[in-house]
Amino acid sequence: MAFFNKPPTHNASRTQPESASKRLLREHKEVLVSSWERLWRTPLSNLLTWLTVAIALALPAALMLLLSQASHLGQQVNQSSHISVFLSLNTTDEQGQLISRELATRPDIAKVSYLSAAQALIEFKSSSGLEDILSSLTENPLPATILIEPTNASLSPHALKKMTQELRLQDNIDQVLVDMAWLDRLQSLLLTSQRFTYSLALLLALGVLLVVGNTVRLHIESRREEILVIKLVGGTDAYLRRPFLYAGFWTGLFSALIAWIILQLGVIYLHQPLLSLAQSYQSDWQLQGLNWMGSLSLIATSCSLSVLGAGLAVRRQLNLIEPK
Amino acid sequence: MISFEQVSKKYHEKTALVNANFHLQRGAMAFLTGHSGAGKSTLLKLIMLMERPTSGKVIVDRQDLSQLSRAQVPAHRRKIGLVFQNHQLLMDYSVFDNVALPLKISGYNERDSGRRVRAALDKVGLLDKERLSPQTLSTGEQQRVGIARAIVNKPKLILADEPTGNLDPDLSAEIMRLFQQFNQVGVSILIASHDLELIQRLPHPVIALNQGRISGSASLMGH
Repeated sequence: MAFFNKPPTHNASRTQPESASKRLLREHKEVLVSSWERLWRTPLSNLLTWLTVAIALALPAALMLLLSQASHLGQQVNQSSHISVFLSLNTTDEQGQLISRELATRPDIAKVSYLSAAQALIEFKSSSGLEDILSSLTENPLPATILIEPTNASLSPHALKKMTQELRLQDNIDQVLVDMAWLDRLQSLLLTSQRFTYSLALLLALGVLLVVGNTVRLHIESRREEILVIKLVGGTDAYLRRPFLYAGFWTGLFSALIAWIILQLGVIYLHQPLLSLAQSYQSDWQLQGLNWMGSLSLIATSCSLSVLGAGLAVRRQLNLIEPK
Repeated sequence: MISFEQVSKKYHEKTALVNANFHLQRGAMAFLTGHSGAGKSTLLKLIMLMERPTSGKVIVDRQDLSQLSRAQVPAHRRKIGLVFQNHQLLMDYSVFDNVALPLKISGYNERDSGRRVRAALDKVGLLDKERLSPQTLSTGEQQRVGIARAIVNKPKLILADEPTGNLDPDLSAEIMRLFQQFNQVGVSILIASHDLELIQRLPHPVIALNQGRISGSASLMGH
């Protein structure tokens, strides 16, 4: 009875030495290859899954790309904002100029220009057309004004607010005006779009989980016989799970690549109109494609979502298939 | 090798096995007979841990099966070679890959696995068919592939569920001769079969099941 009697001596020496970690590595390598080969048995249905996942990824990714670059644009546009400081009426011209020079030394102020009460009146007369009424006044009702241009570093709404508050506390300063309304509006707009994008990304991530989960569920169903036999001859859950997790990984990888292509095509398509739009605001802003960091996080997100989706489906589905 | 102590199994209202007691000694070969529905499949399922008993104790290879958790079931099954009536071969695997499956699950590398698979196929006389799909084989050949898969891991125990169910008498006798050969080198074998004519011609003890009760000899000696 040669088969069972085969002496274990030369046999055992070859089967035993492989260490557990080495064996696990080899098994993973085998599954990586076999799951890759399996991909190309049903290329069309896989391609459809990849496209679905890719679209679900490309949409929020495009919005995030646009947003992250639009906030730069917002900062550029901020540069036109300045602060008007109105001095109290009883401030003399000398005092006003002194305050102006003091302000110019602040680190958060790039440039100041002083406008005396008399100059202000002349400017107002010529621009308002109320020359007659203004001439009949015995006293100049206008205060002296200091126009402040903040440095680039202190252009954020928060820094501007802080500077305004500090200025208001100074002697002889009556009123400080910042054109904050549009800045606030821009901020709210950005915040709204940001939150919209995040909610969309969250929903679509859930969509990716469901799509991959459902695909894997169908794969498992189609390999039901195989799974039953493997369970009967003693395959562990980890062994059974592995090919499906790798299938999830491949789905994630290919979907990310397709999403990347969609994104870059979109950037090329939008480039020209966005450039004209930016130029009309005297900005040299340009929409950039994904950099390598962005590309990597796209791939990482896609792969982890897909593997997670596959894992959730496998855990549920494998328990439903038990030999009876 | 296998001990049943007061084992009962109920499915909802239906009782499949009642107070079953038997002992299959290490190295013994025995038949399990009975009409369909007499409890043969239930008994095999309890040994394979496809089912758990409602009451009583099942011991396989000195291991009380009730002590095994769900996670330990695969390791238990790997110790047993299982032969099915409908052979349960995977038609999109080659003959070779079907037989190699238990080894792959146990983590054998390709070289060791290849050697063992060929030895097992040689044993059942199908070495020249390793590259074929099981679909192209005759029923008898398919059953032999199933047997090769059951022995490839060199188990101490082989369970067979109606292994000759679909075969003509000549092929059935041939399959039984194979089991006897394995038994001669010390493998314990339990074969569920209703082919009484064939069983009576062979010198092995019989456990007869009737409506969930064992009516034949209860303790089975090895030779």
